Formats: sequence, structure tokens, C-alpha cells
Amino acid sequence: MRARLNASLLVGIVLTVGFLAVATLSFFWLPYNPNIPDIPNRLLPAGSPGHLLGTDVLGRDIIAQLMVGARTSIIVGAGGATISLILGVITGLAAAAGGRITDETISRGADIMLSIPGMVTALVLAASFGSGVVTTILALTAFFTPSFTRVVRAAAMSVLQEDFITTARLYGRGQVFILARHVLPNIAGVLIVQFTLFFAAGILTEAGLSYLGVGVTRPNISWGLMLSEAQNQVGVSSPLALWPGLAIVMVVLGLNLLGDGLRDVLDPKLTRKAT
Amino acid sequence: MTLLQMHGVTQTYALPRQGLFAARPRLTVLDAVDFGVDLGQAVGLVGESGAGKTTLTRILTGLERPQVGHVQFDGTDIWAGDTARRAQFRRAVQVVMQNPRSSLDPRMRVGVALHEPLRALKIAGDHAARVHQVIDQVGLTRAALERFPHEFSGGQLQRIAIARALMPGPRVLIADEPVSALDVSIQAQVLNLLKDLVADLGLSLVLIAHDLSVVAYSTSRVSVISAGKIVETGAPLELFTRPRTAETRALVEAVLTVEAGLAGHALD
Amino acid sequence: MSAPAVEVRDLRVGSGPLQAVRGVSFTIPAGGRMGLVGESGSGKTLTALALMGLLPMGWAARGSVLHDGVDLIGQSDRQLSQRRGRTISMVFQDPLSALDPVRRVGHQVASVIRRHTAASRAEAARQTVDLFRQMALPRPEQMVRAYPHQLSGGQRQRIMIAMALACYPQLIIADEPTTALDVTVQKQVLRLLNTAVRERGSALLMITHNLPIIAAICDTVAVMYAGRIVETGPVEDVFRRPRHHYTRGLLVSQPTMDNIALDGSSRLPSIPGMVPSLQALPPGCAFHPRCPAASDRCRAEMPELSGTGAQAACWHPVTAP
Repeated sequence: MRARLNASLLVGIVLTVGFLAVATLSFFWLPYNPNIPDIPNRLLPAGSPGHLLGTDVLGRDIIAQLMVGARTSIIVGAGGATISLILGVITGLAAAAGGRITDETISRGADIMLSIPGMVTALVLAASFGSGVVTTILALTAFFTPSFTRVVRAAAMSVLQEDFITTARLYGRGQVFILARHVLPNIAGVLIVQFTLFFAAGILTEAGLSYLGVGVTRPNISWGLMLSEAQNQVGVSSPLALWPGLAIVMVVLGLNLLGDGLRDVLDPKLTRKAT
Repeated sequence: MTLLQMHGVTQTYALPRQGLFAARPRLTVLDAVDFGVDLGQAVGLVGESGAGKTTLTRILTGLERPQVGHVQFDGTDIWAGDTARRAQFRRAVQVVMQNPRSSLDPRMRVGVALHEPLRALKIAGDHAARVHQVIDQVGLTRAALERFPHEFSGGQLQRIAIARALMPGPRVLIADEPVSALDVSIQAQVLNLLKDLVADLGLSLVLIAHDLSVVAYSTSRVSVISAGKIVETGAPLELFTRPRTAETRALVEAVLTVEAGLAGHALD
Repeated sequence: MSAPAVEVRDLRVGSGPLQAVRGVSFTIPAGGRMGLVGESGSGKTLTALALMGLLPMGWAARGSVLHDGVDLIGQSDRQLSQRRGRTISMVFQDPLSALDPVRRVGHQVASVIRRHTAASRAEAARQTVDLFRQMALPRPEQMVRAYPHQLSGGQRQRIMIAMALACYPQLIIADEPTTALDVTVQKQVLRLLNTAVRERGSALLMITHNLPIIAAICDTVAVMYAGRIVETGPVEDVFRRPRHHYTRGLLVSQPTMDNIALDGSSRLPSIPGMVPSLQALPPGCAFHPRCPAASDRCRAEMPELSGTGAQAACWHPVTAP
């Protein structure tokens, strides 16, 4: 597989890897405790000695909060995307291979779920189970799974029409084997790309939910939460909202570029026609 | 001695309803079809697309069950036997399909794809040795085993597909339009290969095509199928020189040759 | 004596280090019919696309293609699009992917007419129905309202031909127009193409690896191998007395009733080996690894076309009939 590294894919890789590195680092080292207030040092501007990006209204270091926030973004974003992927693959494959009734049931179920706005689901879940990381992940899963189902179903149906599937059946291979060993590897490219895109969307959605107060709450920290807290300080110290906002933009951009770049790399080998 | 035979097979499919209360019309894809091949024989099946060739192949290989009629292999109904008999049938009847790019899993190395029938059909013995033996028979190199399908040309892929079909040591090889997707100079190579395999291994061959000359070259008896019915059967030379039905005549007339073209009456 | 429909001189098509067409030259007189024989990997499709200015991204053409008074190589896409469909048109192999699936077929043909002529919508529609009738399509007034997926392969291909002929082009390029069709439909479509082209006085470039089709329709033929023309000349001469070993190999390897012995013991003569890949072209004559008459000279030096009338690029051309 000859990878065609172009500029945007490179940027995507750099941003994503940087993001993951920072989040990992946060488990081993933090410049300060991001939750302990330090009132005498509150609202320090960026560039202050010892606080490269300044401190918030309670004197907590911004960089430390960003690092822990990165952790949350991964847990929520990747967690939501992963669970949706697993559920989506199961339902999508069932719909593609299972016959008309199964297909109709699953597809219409996915349609119904897709017609409910994600925020509504999130709010309902938060109201029932309280806000927090787990609820946020659940809300994301409810939102992303039906999309995954659709993508998996379409890709799987196209693969199932190929002759090598017929050949496998002629060898007596069962449906499960065919789906696992023949269909999944051939739709893997599509799934990887979709995963990175949903990862990015998850981070964005989580930021929105936490901003509204129905996502993550202290002592957990997320970039959306930082944005929410910064809202009150807009007149006094505007840059407070800048840092988490910038973090969100860079990571989401990075993941999207990575997803697009991967799509280009993984597809052409299979779809390029002979001249 | 008949080896694989379908007898009185009729197959229909339901079409979408035309009105809410109308009955679902049924399309007859195969109509009381008798078709088969004897031990060591090479037979052909010719017809246009939509004539029923694909369905016939699916029924002959056990992929589809006939609604009316039965399919017998070595004297036993293939749908009546126990698991062991079914496994035996699957080993004995193998298929090579039209589009070699579609019949091989693009994510599997050629070597793995060739091992697959041996594993799936639980064939005993040294698999690696068998793989080497067969790729020699079809004229491929050992290096091919490590590569992926997209690295090969259409003609080479068809050889790989034939090699895969030979792995379980079948007694019947069904070739469904094996050369129509290939270039003209490669067609000859593949047809020769099939002919040699029939002669060397004592295989029975069922060759399905829409071009009469291809079938005429490779087989000793040809059946013409049209709209789900077998309309004529005979030796290739017979069909060419003394066609008895309109459908056969149409197929004979459709054959274009360089000679006829140069003489100026090819398109009449 | 009108100008030739197209005059190609030293056409080269490549993408980076890969050269798929390596110096192809031919002339098709006004109203003439030339066949271009080539298998996959010969460069025939890229040649056709280069003439139309439709090369895929990354591929570029050099050389000259003289048509309708200008050199098509070097024209902008805008200038070319004024010629495509009007003076030079193309029929592709797969009509299903060449026709727009969401527009009615009549509309697609009429829009070509309206693009290049001053015809009104009603006039173009009328001409379309007329074209469909000429193509022997059943119930033309109703067929214009059909969508591509509702029609058979043969019908779609005839509509493609109608679209290509609508504006009376000087040159039609047909790239394997019947390969995807059933064998009984092939003849009908070829017959139609033959008549329609003759009636309009258009020139035809028929690209195919199916030699009988060229024998039936074309006056001259050029055989392409690995990006170069290895033999060319009047069809009669080249097919009856082929001088290049590749041409000869192609001719004898077609299964016809003449090759078939009564006892089925005959072996179809075939050309051993395979078409070389672009990345690994053999030095000298590209055909030498597969040629029964190859010598050291063939391995070192690339032969040029030579001869009068029929020409072949070979150091040891076939001599026996």
C-alpha cells in the first residue's frame, strides 16, 4: 500500500498525534493541580511567570486544565465512537445479510433514531441519569450508532454481491464466517474513516453539552466546561475562552484531515481502473 | 455414465405486485430443464443473457434448490444426502466464474485464497504441497502466492481462479463465461488450459458462454438455452452446419469471423 | 479532396515516468474507417481519450492531432468542448455508466443537439425522435422519455451512437462499443453503426481487440502493442498477409469453426506470455519476449514501421503466407 502523503494528511497526523500525546502525558505529569483554587493568582494573563497561558477566575492553571480536558475529550469522543462502531457493525451487518424483514426493521429503527435530535437525547438522558462522562458517552452512542449502521449496511451489501462471497458459500462457509472474514476486512477502510470523523464530532458535541451544563462537571474537566466557565469572564478576561476554543478547533480539524486523508489512501488501490 | 445431472428442473421467481390486490406474477426462469455431464465429458451451454444460464449454474452447484425437479450427483440427489454426502458433493463440483477480479477476495493474498478450499472443505493431507502441485499445473509461479489480486492481469487471475477450483481435486469443473472478460490472445491460453486439464485429469467440464465458437472449440456436446428452456442439443459441428431451431440459428449467425468480414458479408 | 478527418503525428501519452503511448502516428481520411487493434495495456484507450482531450488527471499528451484545421493538443478545455459532440465524438464501451442515470435519454441526446446547433427545444426533440427511428429503436416517441436503467444494453448503446452522430461529426471514435453486449445484439448494433456512419459521411475510428469486427467494418487497420503501432495498412493486406508476429498470433488464436477439428483434438495456437506492464517495458522491440522469431537485434533495437502499402515494425517479418 503506497501511501500518498499530502500536506493535509500530514497536518492531520501531526495534530492528532500531538493531541494524543498531550492527553497521555497528563496521566504522568501536570504542571499544577487543575482543580485546586489559588485565589491570589487568579486571572493571570498569558505569559505570566509559571503560567504560560494564565489562570482562570479561581486561579487554576489553564495549561493543566487543557491537558486534563484532552483526556476527557478522548474518553468521551473515542468512547462514543467505539461503542457506536461496535453496535453499528453488528446492526449493519445484520441488516445487510439478514433478509428483508430484518433489514426493514433495523433500517427503519435507525431512521427513527436519526430523526431525534442529538441534543434532545442528551438532555433527556442527563435529566434521567444526571450529567457526567457516562451519560455523555451514552448520548453520543445513541446519536452515532444509526449513522454507522447505515454506512456498514451499504458497504456490506456491496461486498456481498461479489463473486468471492458466492465462492465462499460454495465451500460451505457459514454466514458468520463470511461476514467476519470476508466482509469486515473489505469494509474496514470505510469504518476507519467514519470512526475518525465521529471521534471529532464526539468531541465537538461533548463540548456543546458541557457548555450547556449537561455534560461533564467538576472535578472532571472538559474543554466545553472551560468554555462555559469562561463565559462569565468575557468582559474581564476574554482570552480565557480562547484557549479551550482553540484546542477544540485544532483537534477536530486534525481528526477530520486525518479521516479525509485516510479515505484517499485506503480507497484508490481498490477502485483505480486499468487504462 | 452420468456424473452430474439436473432433471425436470423448473424455477420461478416472484415479481413485485402490480396493484395492491393483484396476485404476484411469477417469472419462469427455468422450464423443465434436463442438463448434465457424463464422466470425462466436456459439454457446453450457450444462450443469451437472461436465458437462464446463471440460475442453471446456481442450481447445478447446489447454491439454489430447485422448486420442481432434482439434481443428482453420482446417482444421489444432492439435496437428500446427509452432511457427509453434501461435503463430498462440494468437493467434487467446483466453479470458475466470469469476472476474476470479483471472484477473489481483494484483501487475501493469493496463497491464502488457494488454501481456503482445502481448509473450508476439510481436505486431509499436506496443503502446502497440494497448492504447489496445482499452481505448477496451471502455469503460475511460486512468487504469485505472496501477492494480492490487484497485482495481476485478468488472464493471470483467471488462472488463479482455475487453480483454486482444482484444489479439492474435483470431478466436475463448471466454467461460467470463463473467457468473456479476457483479451483475445489470453482467451486462447485459458481455453487451451481447460482443454489440457480435462484431458490430463479426466475432469468433466461444463462450459457456459454466450459465444458459440468458444463453446464449440472446448466441448463435444452443446445445449442451447433460450427463455429458460433447452431448445436444442448436439455436437458443435452439427449445430453450426445444421441448426434446427431459430434460437440456434440466431446464435450461429451472430458469430463473426475475419473471413466473413473480409469477404464483405459479415453484417448481412 | 477534403482534409483528413484526423491526422495524428507522433502522439505520446504519459503520466510521470510511465509512457503508455510511445509515438503513434496515423491518418484517417474524410469518411474513412480505421480499426485500431489493441488489448489491455496497449494504450488504445488513452489514444482515443487523447484525441478527445479527455485524459484522466495526471496524464498528458504530446505530439500533434490535426483535426478540423487545428491541433487539438494545446487547445484549452473550453475550445475542445466546442468540438466534442460536434466535429468529433465518442462511443464508450459501457453504455450504462456513459449515460446519465437520472435524466431521460431523449433529453440527453437533445441537449447535445442544442449545445452545438441553433435548434430550438422543440426542433431538437423532433430530431431526437428521428435519430431514434434511424437507430431502429422501437416506439421512438415513447423511448425518448425512458431512463437508461429501463432499457437493455443494446438499446442503450444505440442511444449512445445516436448521441455521437447527432451533429454529423467528422470523426466518431468507438471504443469497444459492442464488447459489453450479448453476441446476438452485437451484429445489430454494428450494422447500425456501419450504415449510420456511411450515411453521414463521418469517419470512424473503431477500437477493439475483436478482429472480425474490424474485418467487417474498416478499410484500414493499425495494430497497437505496448504503446506503439506495430503493423498498419489496408485491412485485406494486413489480415490476409500479416507481417508482424503479434498480428499473426492474434489472427490464428481466435476460435472459429475452421480451427476446430472434427474429433476435438485441435489445440488453439496461442501467444505465450502476457502484455508487458508499463513499468517494465522490455528493451528493443517490446514484443520480443513472446515472439517465435526473436533475435538479438530484436532485444536491442526497436524497429520502426517500414514497407509500402502495408507496414510492419519488425526485424524479421513473417514471410510465408
